[in-house]
Amino acid sequence: MDPRFTAVLTDHLKFLAGRELTEAGSLRDLGLDSMQVVELLFALEDAFGIMLDEEVLTESTFSTAGSLWQTVAAAIHDTGADPS
Amino acid sequence: VTALASGEPGRREQGAAVGGDAWRAALETVAEAAEAHAAEADVRAAFPEEAVAAMRATGLLGLLVPRVFGGYGGDVRSLVEASIRLGRADLSTAMVFAMHCQQVGTLVRHADERLRRELLPEIAVGGMYLGSVTTEVGKGGRLLSADSPLDDFGDALALDRRAPVVTGGRHADGFLLTMRSPAAETDNLVSLVFARRDQLTVEDWGGAWDTLGMRASDSGGLRLRGRLPRRQLIGRDGCFREISIATFAPLAHLGWSACWLGSASGALARTLTVLRQERRGRAGADGSELLAHRLSGVRQQLDTVYALLAHCCTLVEREQDLSRPRIQLMLNALKLSASEATHRAVEQLVEVVGMRHGYLRGSPTRLERVLRDLRSATLNFHNDRLHAVDGRLAFLDPGVGFAETATAGAEGGGPAFFPKEAL
Repeated sequence: MDPRFTAVLTDHLKFLAGRELTEAGSLRDLGLDSMQVVELLFALEDAFGIMLDEEVLTESTFSTAGSLWQTVAAAIHDTGADPS
Repeated sequence: VTALASGEPGRREQGAAVGGDAWRAALETVAEAAEAHAAEADVRAAFPEEAVAAMRATGLLGLLVPRVFGGYGGDVRSLVEASIRLGRADLSTAMVFAMHCQQVGTLVRHADERLRRELLPEIAVGGMYLGSVTTEVGKGGRLLSADSPLDDFGDALALDRRAPVVTGGRHADGFLLTMRSPAAETDNLVSLVFARRDQLTVEDWGGAWDTLGMRASDSGGLRLRGRLPRRQLIGRDGCFREISIATFAPLAHLGWSACWLGSASGALARTLTVLRQERRGRAGADGSELLAHRLSGVRQQLDTVYALLAHCCTLVEREQDLSRPRIQLMLNALKLSASEATHRAVEQLVEVVGMRHGYLRGSPTRLERVLRDLRSATLNFHNDRLHAVDGRLAFLDPGVGFAETATAGAEGGGPAFFPKEAL
């Protein structure tokens, strides 16, 4: 996972409490609720200059840090943006 | 009676529509029982015992139970059709039925094989009317959170649950309850658990159900305490969120909206009958332009709700992942629109017919009771809460597309909502 991605995501996980974020970490368990999903989405889109399609904004995308990163990485790839 | 037309003729074979009309005969029997006792049940705020007895005797409680377990093998459209029909007769009875079916549909799709084998045949023979325990003090209608914990004793789980509103709960033989998972660090890890009435101490809690409308639904609060085997968890521990998105919430929105639409449709039908009879007595008086205009508005609202209901049926049947923002928005729009439009339509009917047929209890239009009943619709999972969710979901679809079934493809998408092999 990209460190900038992890940094943005960590800001939205109120129950992470200083622990290390792993790809398998359940975002719901770590405190991401439906209300914060929008804030997180905006932050990720702004950070990487991407737009995530409605079609991919499902429960499974937001289930773990790894699944969300996959979706974000695919969007970065599609736009040709340079994540670094 | 309205049968919800399916998108394609071939699809009907997926469900109960082709598999025999026995359930429709059962439905008529139940609707007649509901109709016969509705007025008295409303006055006394008494549970519709005769109608529920008819649901047991005819097997209608097993409408959604797969045929292999002895049920009618009904699908989402059967539930909607039955809810509309019962709604026309009596909204309290219809809601009791629709919410029972929501529990059954959840068991069919999410309980493990052992629990399905234990419960579904019992439901099909009329031995198990299920209540839904999701409300909790202080959380309003927030379905996806729970404060009361399931206490973990290894093979057993203990619960002590106070629920301020439980539709028909005092009469239920068993319950599906949302509880905070034993593993939860937060209040949004929720488990769904089944409990038989005789496994629990069930007490009335929070005052009598003496209400403006929906009086016969006897939805007063309950305190439920007891110890359950762990195998009575439905699905994995903590997985209610998934169950809710896939089944529980869609069946609620479809079932409730169908009940409300049925109630308002019955009101319009009876009003048209009265208007026609009155016209016969007054030769040449064929009604005013104002009357026509108002009736048109009522009919328009009911047709709009029907179209939305039919579209949502198709979405739920065809789409594998109902968590997509557009689909969530469309399903929520069904509940929001149906709850508002059906009440508004009946209020307009009161204006159409005036004091005698619109305001007096004894009128054959029954508008007075229907209006009181439908006043509950926006409050039954409060629309304000759905708007709060939808306002955020709107930002997840900034291009503003709409949920269509095109993604399902020519083959009709994924597996049927209730898989055919299970019917």
